Amino acid sequence: MKGKPTLVLQVPSETRFLVLIRDVAKKMAEAAGFDEPTAGKVALAVDEATTNVIEHAYHGASGKVVEVRIEDRDSELCVDVIDTGDMVNPRTLPRVDLERYASERRTGGLGVHLMEKIMDSVTFRRSARRNVCCLVKRKH
Amino acid sequence: MSELVVDTRDFQDIRLLYPKGFINAHTVRVFEGELQRTVQDGLFKIVVNCSGLSYIASAGLGAIMGSIEELRSNGGDLRLANLNETVANIFEILGFNHLYRIFPSESEAIESFLSGSPSL
Repeated sequence: MKGKPTLVLQVPSETRFLVLIRDVAKKMAEAAGFDEPTAGKVALAVDEATTNVIEHAYHGASGKVVEVRIEDRDSELCVDVIDTGDMVNPRTLPRVDLERYASERRTGGLGVHLMEKIMDSVTFRRSARRNVCCLVKRKH
Repeated sequence: MSELVVDTRDFQDIRLLYPKGFINAHTVRVFEGELQRTVQDGLFKIVVNCSGLSYIASAGLGAIMGSIEELRSNGGDLRLANLNETVANIFEILGFNHLYRIFPSESEAIESFLSGSPSL
């Protein structure tokens, strides 16, 4: 069998489950060989992706499902965060300019910026009526 | 155990905030509430002592950004102290260390206000 088993987590679309997703993602990243600080950052990126789903794809509705798939590949850790909500393409958002951001008193949009800073790759796709945010962190 | 509690203390016209736990999209309202209460109390100088903060997500950073303009336009600022490695790292990743003054200790952050040291 190539690779290792994939962990699949399905949780209700409620922010109180973010800590659970974060804890699982961190443990999986550590098990994949990342050091503790890097595993913490990967977990934060997963937290941010899940928060985006709850707030933007599901608009805060709590009766939906967020699926998180974590796969330890040979050379990288891949995390898919999947929802069946509205299609939201964060790529269409203007790039975050921190100086302007502060002066305009904006308080959203930082999550994608943070995900991109932490991970090696962040992609969004729509497949079979599902939105998939794919986060990849290379091991070397 | 609560996921976030924020204790407060005043020193002269400086409000000291002690978040204990983590700040993410679930807990951010507690933190935001304390920031708003500080402004409502007429205080615009804030030191956030992060010694009890295990991590902060973008929701918490957004809350800081959302309050900073009002604090600074009233002669105040929000300054941070005692960041652990995880939290410091997140601030650096986003370049917040260029927007906010960060001190190794609470006393140094307080002293910066008392000496009239300007914001960034």
